[in-house]
Amino acid sequence: MTHLLEVRNLKTVFNVEGNQVLAVDGVNYYIDEGEIVSFVGESGSGKSVTQMSGLQLIPMPPGEIVGGEVLYKGVNLLQLDEEGEEMRRIRGGEIGFIFQEPMTSLNPVLTIGEQLIETIMLHKKVSRKEARQQAIQMLNKVGIPDPEVRIDEYPHQFSGGMRQRIMIAMALSVNPKILIADEATTALDVTTQAQILEMLRDVVKETKTALIIVTHNLGIVARYAQRIYVMYAGNVVETGTTEQIFNSPKHPYTIGLLNAVPRLDHPKGEKLIPIEGTLPDLANKPPYCSFLPRCPYRTQSCYGQPSPPAKKVDEGHYVACYVDVSQAQPTDQHNALKAASPSSTLAPSGDPKEVILEVEDLKVYFPVTKGILKRKVADVKAVDGVSFQLRKGETLGLVGESGCGKTTVARTIMGLYEPTGGRIYYQGEDITQMPAQKMKEVRRHLSMIFQDPYSSLNPRQTAESIVGEPLIIHKLVKDSKEYERRVDELFHMVGLDPSLKKRVPHEFSGGQRQRIGIARALACEPSVIVCDEAISALDVSIQAQIINLLEHLKETYQLTYLFIAHDLSVVRHISDRVAVMYLGRIVEIADWQSIYTNPKHPYTKALLNAVPIPDPQVEATRERILLEGEIPSPLKRPKGCSFRERCPLATDHCGQVDPHLRPVGNEHHVACLNV
Amino acid sequence: MTTNTATNAMTEVKAPQASNELRRMFRVLFKRKIVVASFVVLLLALFLAIFADWIAPYDPNYQDLARGLQSPSQEHWLGTDELGRDVLSRIIHGTRISLFIGVVSVILAFVTGSLLGLISGYYGGFFDALLSRMIDALLSFPNIVLALGVGAALGSGPFTIIVALTLAFIPTFARVMRGQVLSIKENDYIKAAKVIGASQWRIIIKHIFPNCVSPMIVLITLNMGVAILAEATLSFLGVGVSPDIPTWGAMVNEGYRFLVTHPILSFAPGACVLIIVLAFNIVGDGLRDALDPRLRGSI
Repeated sequence: MTHLLEVRNLKTVFNVEGNQVLAVDGVNYYIDEGEIVSFVGESGSGKSVTQMSGLQLIPMPPGEIVGGEVLYKGVNLLQLDEEGEEMRRIRGGEIGFIFQEPMTSLNPVLTIGEQLIETIMLHKKVSRKEARQQAIQMLNKVGIPDPEVRIDEYPHQFSGGMRQRIMIAMALSVNPKILIADEATTALDVTTQAQILEMLRDVVKETKTALIIVTHNLGIVARYAQRIYVMYAGNVVETGTTEQIFNSPKHPYTIGLLNAVPRLDHPKGEKLIPIEGTLPDLANKPPYCSFLPRCPYRTQSCYGQPSPPAKKVDEGHYVACYVDVSQAQPTDQHNALKAASPSSTLAPSGDPKEVILEVEDLKVYFPVTKGILKRKVADVKAVDGVSFQLRKGETLGLVGESGCGKTTVARTIMGLYEPTGGRIYYQGEDITQMPAQKMKEVRRHLSMIFQDPYSSLNPRQTAESIVGEPLIIHKLVKDSKEYERRVDELFHMVGLDPSLKKRVPHEFSGGQRQRIGIARALACEPSVIVCDEAISALDVSIQAQIINLLEHLKETYQLTYLFIAHDLSVVRHISDRVAVMYLGRIVEIADWQSIYTNPKHPYTKALLNAVPIPDPQVEATRERILLEGEIPSPLKRPKGCSFRERCPLATDHCGQVDPHLRPVGNEHHVACLNV
Repeated sequence: MTTNTATNAMTEVKAPQASNELRRMFRVLFKRKIVVASFVVLLLALFLAIFADWIAPYDPNYQDLARGLQSPSQEHWLGTDELGRDVLSRIIHGTRISLFIGVVSVILAFVTGSLLGLISGYYGGFFDALLSRMIDALLSFPNIVLALGVGAALGSGPFTIIVALTLAFIPTFARVMRGQVLSIKENDYIKAAKVIGASQWRIIIKHIFPNCVSPMIVLITLNMGVAILAEATLSFLGVGVSPDIPTWGAMVNEGYRFLVTHPILSFAPGACVLIIVLAFNIVGDGLRDALDPRLRGSI
């Protein structure tokens, strides 16, 4: 039986400074008409390059496809001229591509209509008028409201989610046989992601387009894919139907991935089991299985054998591993991790009533100026009246979608922004009005961990000097000997080898860099640490390592965390209490059980519902509440409740009265008039 | 025994840390042969400038009108000019002024320009607006007109040239620096430094400046060449050094009249300018790479 697209033994290398980086190392896969197939893997696993190679979209040089076949309807695409007519017809015409960045993949100087019409006319022989008609239909199909009007607008007039819809419309407008979505929803918020994926699935079902979803998010895969390819270090390590992969994973890496993500439907308090170590250097791949150094099931005989070939374990279920995981026992170290005491987050240490940090009616406005005289024309009300208390020893999760103001709250607490109004108290003292000298003293006790492990470390400093800088600034060490000792100690605390301390940031991996950032935050023995999306830029297997580290540190040093994130499963895993923000305000705040099991605010409900769960059975029985529309601009906050336009409970009353947080239960506060 | 060697190895790795870093820098810097060659050229030029009196075969100003415009010969390797002065000796002596003007004016411009750029980029606000407008104003003058103005005010001489060229270069340095600062200061590591309580000067000197130097080094090496050539123009216009002090620029200008019959009079000093500028560029390039920790391991 021939498949719509079949790839055999594809090999792609990148020649980087004399080294051959083996990005795709003998990948086989196929896809049939109308199928939804997913490629899962962490960054560097080769999942995107695999897709790009088939269409000869990788930059050549340095890239080079060194072997294999890509058979599309029986024609080997690799034989075609890269820029030839045939290849261009297939690219875009037969096989469509949606990229991750919706902000940069549309041309900003052309209306979306022009771009759509151009695509349609290029691939279908139709008149301009006809093409415009089709474009409008397509926009309607992907859920753009008023397509007749909006077709003549420019990309910047659309939100990120809308732009991604337009990209999908563009890709689908020429009736491709295959659509490849390369991390197409990764940059979007959960509610938008859910909208788009549902829409995408419905559209491809209707048009019988085969869909390839490339992603690192196992949750998405469980709900939407029929078959899955799990990739690691350029190889497909396991493939099977979604049920096979999730119910009886056979490759240690797949098992590791599934154990490393916190799940919304699992009991809290389970310790995450990270995959130790990091991805191998693809330029010097070992002759044996590339997962071996991280594998908890490895045996002595694995070292002696070449990279394992795929073997059949069930109908359509193949795995590239010598060990039968259902028989084998993981190594002791792994067992130890698994048996480790349940996470400490259950019981906050210290007196639960002692408030260490209090934010009172915080307002942060950014002026919008116009003209050369910098006339103020409006305010972006990023944070508009936020109050909460942080109690000693607890972790308060602050969640919300992008643009809701959670990062602004964090930065204002850290003194990076001037508050427009309101107060911040640290141990009862107002720090917004504090003189600089005294503030420096307080700063010692407040620390921050940043999101991006790449931009948060000065590339010209050694790891030692990054970690040791707070010690010098606050004069916490007497002499260089003590300094050395403290730095070594800090390295040990975050699980880094002090012998690496003379290295500069780029010589570390993402996870290691984040550890350096954490060591810096710990250097002046703070009592409160603000984690601003501290783990969201990391790969799944590394995320688990860092979460465990943060929990361990909290327990050992009695830290208090303000944990800001958009990933609700992670927040649930780590937090004692959770606050949900929407458009610059807290709409609900309560202990984690109340938020996750008994959410009151319709926004909280929708947000929780949009979180994908990596389990096909659970996903199949879940009912979807899809949130309509988008977050309003903080420039034009609607009168009354700002959520009312998207709210299923909204009444006329909501448009008149501004809801304030009010108690609905034991320490459970909601800002909604109708609950 | 085994533990012993292990600890030995440990101390060996640990002890000479600081000098290791320097040694690594030099290793990277001199990895490419062309950088070594360029460095040698610069050292040679410096040597010639210092010991010109001893090295030059003749007095650079000794005129022998009877022996004017001679072709290269055993006695005069590069021939003589129209006044019978030995071209080689004049070039050797010219190294002094040319190098001096080139290096000093550019370094001065780099220091002031960077400082202005750092402050205006970091603090923004009124000072930034004021400085930006001043830079616009300075840039709107052609360099030569600017230098003529300075010359009129200060009288002629090497000092005037240096002041004039420094003034002419400051705007570019300040503007490039300001742009760099604006992009660097948005990085999270600047916020991280603020959060740990670093003072503003510490942030500027330790975190912003080192990350801004790469384009500045390129600018320095480019402007060295411009400075050496500009000196010639200014000398020609009479604002520069007096005609009896030999400089490369002036020699190119003087030889220009005999370009058809005696091209070597212009070509020889011109070649010197070219070689020095090239050498500065290559060394600057190497220096930029050596200073960049991101290239560690890849070179």
